[in-house]
Amino acid sequence: MSSYRIPGYSGKILEVDLGREIVRARPLDPALAEDYLGGRGLATRLFVDAVDPACDPLGEGNVMVLATSPLVGMNAPTSCRGHVVFKSPLTGVIGSSNCGGTWANVFKAAGYDAIVIRGKARTPVMIDITPDRVELLPADSLWGLDVHETTDRLLEDGAGKRARVLCIGPAGEHLVRFAALMNDKNRAYGRSGPGAVWGSKNLKAIRVFGQEKTRVVDPERYQSGLDQARFLLRAVPTTKRLLNDMGTAGLVRLINVIDMLPHRNFQDNLHRQDRLDGASGEALRSRLLVRSGACMRCPLGCQRHTRVGDRTGEGPEYETLVLLGMNCDVYDLEAVTLANYQCNELGIDTMSCGGTLACAMELFERRYITEQDTEGLDLSFGNASVLEELVRRIAFRTGIGDQLAEGAARLAARYHHPEVAMTVKGLEIPAYDPRASYTQALGYMTSPTGACHLRGGYAVSLAFFGGAREIPRFSLLQSPIAIRNLQNIGILQDSLGVCRFTGYAYSAEPWSRMVSGATGLDFSTHRLEQTADRIAALERVFNLEAGVTRDDDTLPARFSDESIVVGGKERCVPKDVIERLRSDYYELQGWDSEGRPDRALLHKRKIERLRS
Amino acid sequence: MTGSKWKASEEVVRRFQHVGRALLLHDIEDSHSGNIAMRWTGEDGEEKILITATGSQKGDLYPSDICLLSTSETDFGYYKASSETDIHARILALDGVGASVHAHTKDLVFVTFDDAPKPNQPAPFIPVDPLGYHVLEGQVPVDWVAVPSGSREMTETIPRRLADHRVTVIQGHGAFAKARTIEEALYRLCIANHAGYVVRLLLKIGADVEGLRAKIREAPAAHFAYPPPDYTVNDDAICEFPEEDELIREFRRAGARIFESRISPFHTGTLSVRGISSMLYAPKASMPREIGGPLRQVPLKPDGADDRELAMHKAMYAAGNFQTVAHCYVPEAETLAHFTHPGETEASDRVIAIDAEGSFLYPVIPVVPPGVELETLTGLLHDYKVVIVRGGGVWGVGHQSLSEVLHHPSSVREICQYRMAAFERGLDLRKLEPAKARRW
Ligand code: SF4
Repeated sequence: MSSYRIPGYSGKILEVDLGREIVRARPLDPALAEDYLGGRGLATRLFVDAVDPACDPLGEGNVMVLATSPLVGMNAPTSCRGHVVFKSPLTGVIGSSNCGGTWANVFKAAGYDAIVIRGKARTPVMIDITPDRVELLPADSLWGLDVHETTDRLLEDGAGKRARVLCIGPAGEHLVRFAALMNDKNRAYGRSGPGAVWGSKNLKAIRVFGQEKTRVVDPERYQSGLDQARFLLRAVPTTKRLLNDMGTAGLVRLINVIDMLPHRNFQDNLHRQDRLDGASGEALRSRLLVRSGACMRCPLGCQRHTRVGDRTGEGPEYETLVLLGMNCDVYDLEAVTLANYQCNELGIDTMSCGGTLACAMELFERRYITEQDTEGLDLSFGNASVLEELVRRIAFRTGIGDQLAEGAARLAARYHHPEVAMTVKGLEIPAYDPRASYTQALGYMTSPTGACHLRGGYAVSLAFFGGAREIPRFSLLQSPIAIRNLQNIGILQDSLGVCRFTGYAYSAEPWSRMVSGATGLDFSTHRLEQTADRIAALERVFNLEAGVTRDDDTLPARFSDESIVVGGKERCVPKDVIERLRSDYYELQGWDSEGRPDRALLHKRKIERLRS
Repeated sequence: MTGSKWKASEEVVRRFQHVGRALLLHDIEDSHSGNIAMRWTGEDGEEKILITATGSQKGDLYPSDICLLSTSETDFGYYKASSETDIHARILALDGVGASVHAHTKDLVFVTFDDAPKPNQPAPFIPVDPLGYHVLEGQVPVDWVAVPSGSREMTETIPRRLADHRVTVIQGHGAFAKARTIEEALYRLCIANHAGYVVRLLLKIGADVEGLRAKIREAPAAHFAYPPPDYTVNDDAICEFPEEDELIREFRRAGARIFESRISPFHTGTLSVRGISSMLYAPKASMPREIGGPLRQVPLKPDGADDRELAMHKAMYAAGNFQTVAHCYVPEAETLAHFTHPGETEASDRVIAIDAEGSFLYPVIPVVPPGVELETLTGLLHDYKVVIVRGGGVWGVGHQSLSEVLHHPSSVREICQYRMAAFERGLDLRKLEPAKARRW
C-alpha cells in the first residue's frame, strides 16, 4: 500500500474491536479511495473485506463501517453526510444507510475517513474520539437513556458543545430490528436496523470532537463545480423553494396528484381531499412549524422543527407522515408528529415502523390478529390514539410491541399471512406506490437493501419533478436503464457525502468537478459512473453470498394482483412485467439469469479480491 | 370536368397542407409565396399533376387550393394553378422525379446575390456545412434571369439545371427542388436554406468564407464527417413500438421541437432511446408534428448493414451508461466550429458560453475535427454531455430522457447565438468568456 495521502481525505481508518478492546488507526489505502471514493463506496468495500456474509446480523461476527467522503468538510452544498454499512438484522442482506446532520463532519475533522467496528463488548460501552486519542469508555450509566438524554449527558461532561454524538436509544438496546442510529438527536441513519447492530454489540454511543480543516488542492476546478451546483439549486423550484418552505412533507399533495400516495397498507391510493389537506405539508407549516432548519452546509433546509402543545421536536418528514399517517388511514397530523418525536427519542426508523403498523392494522382488520393478541389495543385503521403507545411498546419490546419490533415480514409470517407484509427482501416499502411507476417498482425490486427509494433509485424525483429529465412511468423499454442510472447517481451521492435532494437539480457533473478539485485526481463523470458500477457490483456480490436469489428481487403479490387507478387507468405491475423488468435489469448489469455477475465482469469492476 | 376524378384524395391534400405548413414554419416562405407540385395517379389510373393554386396561403391550404392538371391537356385547373406551373410540369417530366417544390429560401437567396452588371452568370453556391455538402452534392447552381417570375427563361433554365442538380437557385428569387416526393423536396430545400444560413452567419462574424471554400475544394474529406443516411420516402408513418405510447409521444414532442426551433433542418438529425437489447430510433429526428417520421426499433447489436449514423448510436450506447442520444445539425454550431473568435485562422477546440445559463449548464462545449475517433468523442460526451463535430453536427447524450438530450443541442444553439450577437455588437468575446472555461 502506498503511504501517499490523497488530498481531501483524512488518510486514516479507525479500527475498533469491541470484544478485544483494541483501538487502532491505520492509513487509508489510496487505491481504495480512488476506486470507491468514500461514504457508501468506501464503507461497502471495508465492510465486505471484513465480514463473513453468513454471519448472524445480531451476533458478534457482524461488522459495521461508517465512512465520510472527500467532499465532507468542504463548502459543497449538503456535503455533511456519513454512511453506514452492515449486515441488516431486519433483512439479512446488506444494510446501507445515509444521514446528514453534523456528526460525520466532526468525525472527519477528528482525523478519520472511516471507522470499522467489530466484535461485541462484554458490557455497554461508548467510543470517545478526539484528535489526540480514542478511548473505549463504560456506558452502563447511559444504557436505558433515550437518544436526547444520552446526547445531553455526553455533551454535559466537559466535552463541550462542539463535540457531536451518535447513539442509539432503547430500541437499539432491545434489538428492535429497525432501530436507528441518531445524531444531532433527531437525524437518523434509519433504514435496515443499524441501531440493533449497535445494541447487539453493547455499543451505546460515539462521541467525536475534531477541528481539522479539509483543503481543496485545485480551487478553480472545485469552484467551477460549486458555482454550477449553486446556480442549478437556485434554478429548480424543488430545491429553491419547496423543501425549505414545506419540508419533504410538501410532497404529500403532489404525490397524491400523480396517484402514488399509498393508503391502508397499500390497499388503495384513495384519499379524501379534505382529510389529506388537513395532514399535508401546508397544514404542517401553518399549524406546527416553529422554524425550518438544515443539516450542515445545506442551502436547501428541509428540516422541520415543530411544536405540538408543550412538546417540541423534529418532523414529520414526508415518509413518516405518509407511512405512520395515511398508510395507516391516520390523518391526524398532531398524532403522527408525536409518534415521530417518540421514534426519534427512542431511536426507531419511522418508515419501517409505519410499514409495520400498517401491516398490523390490516392483520387486525382481517381478524388475523385479535384484541387478545394486542392486550386490548384497538389496531383498527385510522386509530391515531394508539400510535405513540405502539411506538413505545416496540422500543421496549413489551406485549404486542415485541412482535412488531420484528418488522412487517416476520409479523405477517408469524400470523401465517405473509401476503400482508408490504416489504421487499424484508424491508418495508417507502411511501410511493410502485403501481404508479414501473421505474419505481423496479427500483424497489433491485435495491440492494430491499425496498428503499434511496438505495433503489429515487424514480419519483423524475416522475414528477424531473423537468427535462422526466421519464415515462410505464415504459418497459426505458425503466431498467432509467432506474440503473438513478441507482448509480444515488451511489455517487452517498459516496460523496451529499444529499439525495441535490438530484432534483443536477446529477454527476458538478460533483465531478468538485471532487476532482478537492482531491487533485481526475474524477471525470465517466470515471464516476464506473465507480458506481463497481460499488453496485460489490453490493450485489455480498447479497448473493448472504443468500439472495432471483426470487428475492420481486414485489409483494398485491402489486400484481390488485389494481389502483393511476391517471384514470387501472394499473398494477403484472407478473410478466415484473419478469421482464427483472430480466432486462440483470442483462443491463451484465448479470446472468439468476442475477449473478460472472468472474469477467467482477474483474472488469476490479473486484477480484473477493471470495469465489 | 367534374366528379371524383378531379379531386385529390384526402391523404394527398393532407400531405400538401403539412408540407405547406412546414415551409412556413421553417421560415423559408412568406405567407403566399412558393409552390408545391407532384405527380399523382388518381383512382381512374390516369397520371396527373397536383399543384398549389396561385396566391394560396401555403401555410394554410384549403383543399380547393390544390389544383389537378392533366399531364397531357390544358384544362380549367391550369388557369387557377401557380403561374410557375409550366416550370413544375417540366421538372416533373424529368426522369425519376415525382415532386417539385419552390420556396423563397431567404438565407440562400441572401448569400447568392451579387452586384455585378447584368446579365451575368453568377457563381454557383458552394455549401460549407456537411448537410449542404453531402445532400446538395457540393454545389447549387445560381442563375440570373431578366424576369424572375413564371417567365419563359425560367421555364427553360430551371428544369435544365435540375436535370443535373437536386436544387437550383434563381438569383434574388428563390430555390427549386426536384425529388421523389414533396417531403423529400422539402428536405432538400430546408437543407439548401440551412447551407445558405451557415454561410450567412459566417459572413456576419467576419469569417473568410472564400478561404474556407478553397480549403474544402483542396481536401473535402478533411472538412466533413460521414454523409447523413440516404433519405427514405413513404415511411413517415411507420412506428415499430406501438406499445410504448409514452415514448412515442416523447419522440414526437422532441422531433417537433427540433424542427420548429430550427435545431436541425427538416428530417435531418437522429434521436434514439436505448433499451436492453434494442433501441428506439428516429432516423429523421427533425419531425414537424403533422408529418412525423419513422420510429424504428433496431437491435443494439452492431450489424454490418447499419449505416454510419445508426452505427454511431450503437457505438455510443456500447461505450457508456447513456439512455438517450441525439445528433442534430445546428447551423450556429456549424458556424462557430470553424471560427470561434473573429479574425481567427485556426479553428478553436471549444465554444465557451458567455450567457448566464449556458455558462452554468455547459461551461465548455468541445469542438472536435470531423475525423474524431469514436473513443474520444464518447469520452468527451461523458464529461460534457454535448460535443460539436466540425463538419459533422452536434452530438448530445442523456442519462434519463429524450427531453434531457434535446436540451443539449437546443442550448448549444442559444449559446452560439449569444456569442454571435456579442460579436455583432463589437464586444470583446474574450472578456465575456469566463477565464476558467478557457483552461479546462
Ligand atoms: S436537504 Fe434536508 S436532509 Fe438534505 S442535507 Fe439539506 S437539510 Fe439535510
